[in-house]
Amino acid sequence: MTKITIDPITRLEGHGKIEIFLNDEGDVANAYLQIPELRGFEKFCEGRPVEEMPRIVPRICGV
Amino acid sequence: MAKPKVALYWAASCGGCDVAVLDTNEKILDIANLVDIVFWPIALDFKYHHVKAMEDGSIDLCLFNGAVRSSEQEDIARLLRAKSKVMVAFGACACFGGIPALANFTNRDEIFERVYIESPSSANENRTFPQTLTRVAEGELELPELFDTVLTLAQVVDVEYFVPGCPPPVDIILKVVDLFATGKLPPVGAVIASDKTLCDECERIKEEKKITRIYRPHEIIPDPERCLLEQGIICCGPATRGGCGLRCIKANMPCRGCFGPPPGVVDQGAKLVSAIASIYQGNDEEDIARMVVEVVDPAGTFYRFGLADSLLKRKRIQQAKGRVE
Repeated sequence: MTKITIDPITRLEGHGKIEIFLNDEGDVANAYLQIPELRGFEKFCEGRPVEEMPRIVPRICGV
Repeated sequence: MAKPKVALYWAASCGGCDVAVLDTNEKILDIANLVDIVFWPIALDFKYHHVKAMEDGSIDLCLFNGAVRSSEQEDIARLLRAKSKVMVAFGACACFGGIPALANFTNRDEIFERVYIESPSSANENRTFPQTLTRVAEGELELPELFDTVLTLAQVVDVEYFVPGCPPPVDIILKVVDLFATGKLPPVGAVIASDKTLCDECERIKEEKKITRIYRPHEIIPDPERCLLEQGIICCGPATRGGCGLRCIKANMPCRGCFGPPPGVVDQGAKLVSAIASIYQGNDEEDIARMVVEVVDPAGTFYRFGLADSLLKRKRIQQAKGRVE
């Protein structure tokens, strides 16, 4: 089985890579999109004052 | 003569620094004429293998934004360092950890638990978490390792220059381009911004630095002419480097420190605690206890952008055997 790796995915906001597996005939057997990134806003926003959220969560995506 | 080669990269970031480069508007065309951009994931389709194939030192300038919080980001930081003559920590995250470094108040296990188990949209009865290696029917899939601790770029590789800001303002970006293009780069280690504090550059009326209580936004309508700190609103200006163009202050919002500490200050948060404590007027223990409570989230406010680069660096991690690191 042949593996084609597209890393990184470009011209979009965020991080991603794609793994494509080809079978013996050269056809796509399966493809996987992986997101090799996590910052954890869900966790680290906890305990911060609510009025600070408009200044923190815009940094989820600045594009 | 060949044009200088420039690379731009984003690690743990939001893309805002990349967009800030595009915010140079039509001047981006001048930049594009001046240099060859050889790597820039947000805008151009170069892959990691293209960078790996380059000769060491063949990139003249690398603008690296984002903090380093995974093995992939560390690998790319080392790769770009090897390929680049000049490495710039571009933006608050690369310089000081930035907003992603608020994760240093927690750790990987807690983040995974929150994101993949507790989040209302998760249905994950088997407790599946990201693995560095996953075997599937067709072969193997690899993901980078997420670190417990978010790092600054300079904690991973040598860095020549620091461009602070969340994001860096356009005038500073153009200054960096100009310094690079004219070969007038400052001494290694320089922070390309103002050498004054934000307070020194702030145009608001400053009278007497004395406050008796701290106000949250719903408790006060700030006077747009007067110093926010003197009105009892926590502003990080006294311990923050200037050069930002007073973007928040002009919007009647207090500073949160995205330009990092001014020259001579080692720990921005500690300096802020010192600055605010010195103007807080209290008569007795009771007053002091009340004031401490009034600062709702001191660590997350004073180290909003700078936790990774601070003396604290992170919250202690409780180990299973009671050991702490």
